[in-house]
Amino acid sequence: MKTRFEDEKLKWIPLLILLVFFFPFVLKSATFSYKYYLYVINLAGIYMILTVGLDILSGYTGLMSLGHAAFLALGAYFSAIMVDQLGLPFELSLILTPMLVGCFGFIIGFPALRVQGIYLGLTTMGFGFIVKRLIIVFNEWTGGSAGLSVSNAKLFGWTINSDWENYFIIYFFVIIAIIIGRKIVRSKLGRAFMSIRDSEQAAIASGINLAKYKMISFFISGSFAGLAGVLFAHTSNFISTDHFDILLSIYFIVMVMIGGIGSIYGAVLGTLFIVLMENLFIPLFEDGLSKFIHLETGDFQAFIFGLIMLIFIIFQPLGLYGMWLKMRIYWKIFPFNPRKRFT
Amino acid sequence: MTDILTGLMQETISGVALGCIYALIALGFTLIYKATEVVNFSQGEIMMVGAYMHFFFLNQFVALTGGLNAWVFLLAFIGSVIFAVLFGIILDFIINRPLKGEPVFSIIMATISLAIILRSLTAMLAGPLSLIPISPFGDHTFILGGVVISILDISIIFSAIIMMSVFYYFFNYTKWGISMKATSADSEAAQLLGIPVNKVYRYVWIFASVVGVLSGIMLAPRMALIDTSMAFLGLKAFPAAILGGFGSIKGAIVGGIILGIIETVSLGTLSFYFPWIKEINDIIVWIVLIGVLMIRPDGLFGMAKVKRV
Repeated sequence: MKTRFEDEKLKWIPLLILLVFFFPFVLKSATFSYKYYLYVINLAGIYMILTVGLDILSGYTGLMSLGHAAFLALGAYFSAIMVDQLGLPFELSLILTPMLVGCFGFIIGFPALRVQGIYLGLTTMGFGFIVKRLIIVFNEWTGGSAGLSVSNAKLFGWTINSDWENYFIIYFFVIIAIIIGRKIVRSKLGRAFMSIRDSEQAAIASGINLAKYKMISFFISGSFAGLAGVLFAHTSNFISTDHFDILLSIYFIVMVMIGGIGSIYGAVLGTLFIVLMENLFIPLFEDGLSKFIHLETGDFQAFIFGLIMLIFIIFQPLGLYGMWLKMRIYWKIFPFNPRKRFT
Repeated sequence: MTDILTGLMQETISGVALGCIYALIALGFTLIYKATEVVNFSQGEIMMVGAYMHFFFLNQFVALTGGLNAWVFLLAFIGSVIFAVLFGIILDFIINRPLKGEPVFSIIMATISLAIILRSLTAMLAGPLSLIPISPFGDHTFILGGVVISILDISIIFSAIIMMSVFYYFFNYTKWGISMKATSADSEAAQLLGIPVNKVYRYVWIFASVVGVLSGIMLAPRMALIDTSMAFLGLKAFPAAILGGFGSIKGAIVGGIILGIIETVSLGTLSFYFPWIKEINDIIVWIVLIGVLMIRPDGLFGMAKVKRV
């Protein structure tokens, strides 16, 4: 018998796996410059793993984090040090690093027991700055501000060294992250998170240990980001503190929000939307435009990016997932739509 | 020993000057947060636009009159303030009006995208050049009891004091100031009492824009050059607003000044005597912030919200 909380959506997953698996072959046959597209899509995949974790923290538990780039950085640097300098196998780092970064999430969870809302956001932002500085201070290990080159991932004797191979390894983990994320939010854990988000007082009254569940939420979110960091380090082969800027943390929150906060699929969609828009559509659009007028490239791209986002938010304040929900309701009650409610 | 003391004195004075600017930026955050519960991520960008506009006006008026005198500075100042008011009205139309009644996080996202737009648009219009600003009070220094004091710092401190007194008067004794306070305390109750809440929101955005532009004008001469990275100072003023308690005007001012002093003192004397501080001077502010928040989770002057189930 199906309970109310049992997940029916997982029947989508085999279809998703097929789609993800055949996508690069379609891309390869469709265009010559598929390598760059794959690179961008890989980046989106890494960020997706992170935003799924961020969504569990911010969307489901209601704890704002403005420092998630720091978790990404920790994951990347831990894995790079473990594999290259301590000589551990990549497979071990793949398991150990998320755990380690999750423990850091645990530490950051301590202020969350007292501090709330925007204060917590700023605490995590401070954590982001502190981590960035510490990476530069420990320069014997991390290479300081000059950056650190990282070896390719070796998985069971198979060296992964092209965007093509990266794609499969990254999206393998993306699908696992999505499944785990869905499972978590539909379990007892996820219901506890949501009740904390909706009302802490009510959660305490119904016997939820606030401290425990907030810490668990930070741990889960941290380990997702750690996993993303491992993949980031070993697929991009070079990491420096510039990759983990404070603006990136803000972008992560924007990705989750634009997808629709409090929905795993929303986080994935939002990440795909932002990364593709920033790295593919706007440069293409600008290429088209540069035939007519001369423009400063970087600033113009940022300008269009900001403009599209602003317009999108003004017309669709609930994000992509909200748009999808509206569409679904529209078709469900199709012939009897009340007017003016669906715009 | 006296060396340390004079050093500390000197850095404290310039720290207070820097802190006054942080306090003004933090005031902008605080105003908007108080009235609308929106965290305005574009306050630093508004400040940057203000600095650019003041420079632009100054250039234009110098070209018109052919000389640099007090009147030119005054005109440029008035021009920037008028621009700030218009800018605030535009911001109200872009951000506040269309998103009325939407969840707060949508409005926060709108301010983030506004920040991106302002930063890139300024870079596009002004070009990649960095501009060298000038202060109307010059940049002489004088020595008072062994402490070297720059006129620039003194002028910043005095103009900040004047501005803060004006704000204090405005918020506590004028009709609009009191209705802003009422709206921020409880917007529905304020509406019932006949306060035009929408208008108050518009005035809040105008006010935040004016504060941002003024802090930009004050900060510019201290920066040695203006470029778009100035906007990131907005992120540095965040801890100031948080330290004092987000949503408290007194807190923004005290928090700003405390952080300004911490920053300059740790950069100067302390890092001279304790070399390890030099390595972490840019995160000391954040460590202090986290420490304070662990003891007082709502900042120094913030009030804990009473929650009803």
